[in-house]
Order: sequence, then C-alpha cells, then structure tokens
Amino acid sequence: MTAAGLALPVRRRRRVRYGVIALAFYVLLFLGFIAAPIVSVVAVSFSTASFIAFPIPGFTLRWYWRIIEYKPFVDALIVSGEVAVLSTIFGTLLGVPAALALARSRATAAAIVSNFLLAPVTVPAIVLGLSLLYFLSSLSLGISFTALLIAHTVAGIPYIVRTVLSVYRAIPPDLEEAAAILGASRWQTLVHTTLPLVRPGVFAGGLFAILTSLDNLPLSFFFGSAKTNTLPVVMLSYMENQFDPSIAAVSTVQMLIAIVVLLIADRVYGIEKLTS
Amino acid sequence: MTAGSPLADIDGKARRSRPYRLAGPSWIIPVLLFLGFFFVIPLGANILRSLQSGQATTNGPLFYYVKLLTDAYYGGVIVETLKVAAISTVLCLIVGYPVAYFMVRFAGRWNAVIVFLLIAPLLTSIIMRTFGWRVLLARRGLLTTQLFEWGLIPRPLNLADEPFAVYLGLVHVLAPFMILSITAVLQKVDVRLEESARVLGASALGTFFRITLPLSLDGIATGCILVFVVTCGSFLTMLLLGGGKITTLSLLIYQQFNVTQDVGFAAAMGNTLLFIGLICLALQARFLRRTGVKS
Repeated sequence: MTAAGLALPVRRRRRVRYGVIALAFYVLLFLGFIAAPIVSVVAVSFSTASFIAFPIPGFTLRWYWRIIEYKPFVDALIVSGEVAVLSTIFGTLLGVPAALALARSRATAAAIVSNFLLAPVTVPAIVLGLSLLYFLSSLSLGISFTALLIAHTVAGIPYIVRTVLSVYRAIPPDLEEAAAILGASRWQTLVHTTLPLVRPGVFAGGLFAILTSLDNLPLSFFFGSAKTNTLPVVMLSYMENQFDPSIAAVSTVQMLIAIVVLLIADRVYGIEKLTS
Repeated sequence: MTAGSPLADIDGKARRSRPYRLAGPSWIIPVLLFLGFFFVIPLGANILRSLQSGQATTNGPLFYYVKLLTDAYYGGVIVETLKVAAISTVLCLIVGYPVAYFMVRFAGRWNAVIVFLLIAPLLTSIIMRTFGWRVLLARRGLLTTQLFEWGLIPRPLNLADEPFAVYLGLVHVLAPFMILSITAVLQKVDVRLEESARVLGASALGTFFRITLPLSLDGIATGCILVFVVTCGSFLTMLLLGGGKITTLSLLIYQQFNVTQDVGFAAAMGNTLLFIGLICLALQARFLRRTGVKS
C-alpha cells in the first residue's frame, strides 16, 4: 500500500476504490454484528425447543402464550408503561418551563443551572438508585410506586431539558415579541406561540425519556417488589432461575412496543423532524 | 401584562440589548426544588452514610474507603473495573473508527441508513441484546455450532460465560455511541485538507495519521470518555455474560445489595464509582477546552 507520492490521479483513484470496497465490506460486517444478537433472539422466541438450540427444531407461539400466563410479566409490563409515561409527564412539567427560562439567558448562573439540570444523566443509575432508595426509605416512601416514579422523573429531566434548550435557542425571539406586541398576554404567547415552536424539542426529549425509562434496570431494581417490578427487573430475576425462550418472547414484545411508540411519534410528528 | 408595556419597549434601546423574554427566573424554581430534594440531598446523604454508618462509626469515618482501596479483593475489583472499561473503550475505538470514517467520507446517501441501523438497536432492551449473545455463544448456540461444524473449535464449547463474551457484549452496546461521537466531529473536517496532503505527496496512511486522526481527536475523546463512564456504571453485561469471571464495582454493588445489605459499604462503593465518573468528566471538560483554544 505504499502509494508513490506523485502517482497519477487516475491510478490513485483506482487504488482508493479497492480500499473503499474493503471498508464498505467491513461496515457491512459490523452492521451484521450489531443485528446478529437481536435477530437471533427473535428467532429463538419462536423455537419449539425449551432450551436454546440451533438450528431451531420447529415453529411455535407457545412462549408468547407463556407471557400472558405468567402473571409477573403482565403486571411488570403495566408498571413499566405507567412509570415511563407518568415520569415523562412530570419531567416535562418540571423541565420545559426551566429550559424556556434558561435558554435565552447569557448569565453565568444560567449556564451553571443548565449544567446542573443535565447532571442526573452523568450519575451512574446504580448510584442514583441506591442513594434514592435509602433517602426515600428514611421518608418512609421506600419501596413504592411513588419512589419508583420519583427516581425515573429525576433520570428523565435531563433528556427533556437538553432537547428543549437546544430547540428554543434556535428560535428567534421575534415571533414571541410579535405576539406580545399584538396584544397577547404572557399566557397566550406561551400557549399559542412558544409551545408550538418548541414542540419538536419536547417531543424528542419525551421520547428519549420514555425509552430510557422502559429499559432502566439499574434504577428500577432497587425499588422492586411484586407491585413495583418493572419489566427488565422481572426478566432478570426470571433469567436467574430458568432459561427458556419466554425471555426471548418478552424481549421481542418489548421491542415491538418501542417500535410502536416510535411509529406513533412518527405519525404525530415525523421522525425526520425529531432527529434533525 | 397588557399590550401597553411591550409597545412602550419598542423605541427603548434596552430592547435591542436584551431580547424579549417570555419566561422569568421563577420558572426554574420547581425543577430546582425537585432535583435539590430528590437528587442533591440523596447523593449527599449517601456520602454521609458511607462515612458514619455501620463499621465506620467505630473504626473511623474513612473505614469503608480504606477497606475498598487496600483490601486485596476489593482493590482488585477497582482495578478490574478500570481495566474492563479501558479495554472496552479501546476496542470500541478500533472497531468503530473505520465505520465512522466510511460514514462521513464514502457513505453518501447510505449514511442515513447506517445511522438508522446504529440507533435502531437502542429500541431493544439491554437484556435482549445481552441475551442474544448468550443465544449465539451458548454450548448449542448458533455461533458455537457453526464454529464446530467448520472445525474451528474441537467440541461445542460454552463461550457465553467468558470475559471474551463480556467484551463482545460491551462493544456491541457501546460502539454505536463511539461511532456517532466521531462522525459528529469528522463531518466538520474539510476533505480538502486530506486531498492537499495527498497532492503534496503524503501516502494514504500518512494522510490518515497526520491529518485525519489528529483533526478528529475531539470526537475520539468524547466517545472514549462516554464509553469509559458507561462501562464503569454497567453491570448487566458482566452479570449475564461474565460467568462470575469478571467482577466490577457496579456488579459488586448489585451483588452486595442483593446479598449482604451492608449499607455503609454499598454507599462507599457507589461514591467511588461516582468519583471515577467525575474525574472522567473533568478530563473531558479540560481536554475539550484545550482543543477549543487551539482551533
């Protein structure tokens, strides 16, 4: 590969193209590596064997029935959904006003406060969960749905604040100013001008918060009880006792739920607008 | 507020220097109270707990920290935590950089597809992805069976409960973050700089190591620190794929919490983990500021 320094452009282009083909092949391999475990879990969820074996001996929906029969799975799924949605709503109610107030300020204090609101995401969830459990226990909230909800709200606030901050900073103040000049009250300006403008930020942040909450095992397992187990907690304890494809079936269902959430988000708003 | 006051502002000069603000500072108060109460106080109480509970009350406040750092077993766990995090960071960088480079320089309209394929796995739970590696690497798993049929391994081994499997799982979960951190910076590197280097006689490898790599250091640093911190905080991969052969600080917290319930010691371990994370963030802030000054 020691290309002569003054090689003709034509020759160089040929050589580069071989390199690019090799690189493209490597990227394909890498994407296969990323997809492999996910695809194989979906495959195993339909396997007739009660242990993991390839090639799959036959096709069955038995493990999906098992989810419905095994009550902890269903209960946990409901708890997970409730916690994800409620914590995101609370996080939005707390985070959006703060982000709106902080976005346009150039004061040092505002920068410090913004960083503080983003801080919970940098604390390992396992540390946050441990600390919150003992603190809430001292308030006799201990292992309860409320405690779980508080923990997930703390963890979700940074996602909402971050996206709303960046979206609101990109919006010129002229529109709100125009609304105010035309006689809108503060409240009217907020409802009719500001909130519609920052909606993509609220939406994207909320989506992040919901998806992280659904999968936040290190935070949830501290608050686990029969009534407050989230889906990942139940899955982990199930895996520690037995090892059958129903875990694969639950995983597949959970993935489908996430996809449905995303599709709804796409219908309501449009994914391209969320990611840009 | 009526229409009168904003109208009056129009000819005042203050308007230009200070743009219209809808939200006042008071809008921040609820979230500050909430996080103060449920984030700052719990973490603070956790520090106090590690200094003043259980054996720390009789043996001095730093008892648990001394135990953690000097005891052969616990000291080894801290070293192993840092080792696993460092190795997985380097692996993610090596595996991910070529992908990032391809995405920015050659992928063109396929870039969006690759970004989608990198982000899509985030929709699945970490349990699913880790379980997937068990499916592939178990004694009768897909990969093991194939390797055996190709004659690459003498008999169907269980590859799932090995350090190898832990690194595979960590790279699988974290490489996308590394790649996206690098592409964010690489996108801003002008391709003409590379072309100039080639025209002026540098080899392809020389151009890469002298131009492309140094210019993308910012993204590499961001990605590395992200991967390092997340690895330090994760225990699921080690728990499900390590087969007890790799014990890190977070895994130890999880096990201690389930088994012994030594509150003070668990708190001390959590704070040590937090401290490692804070050092990484401080390094990041310092590093990014320095490169910021240069450019």
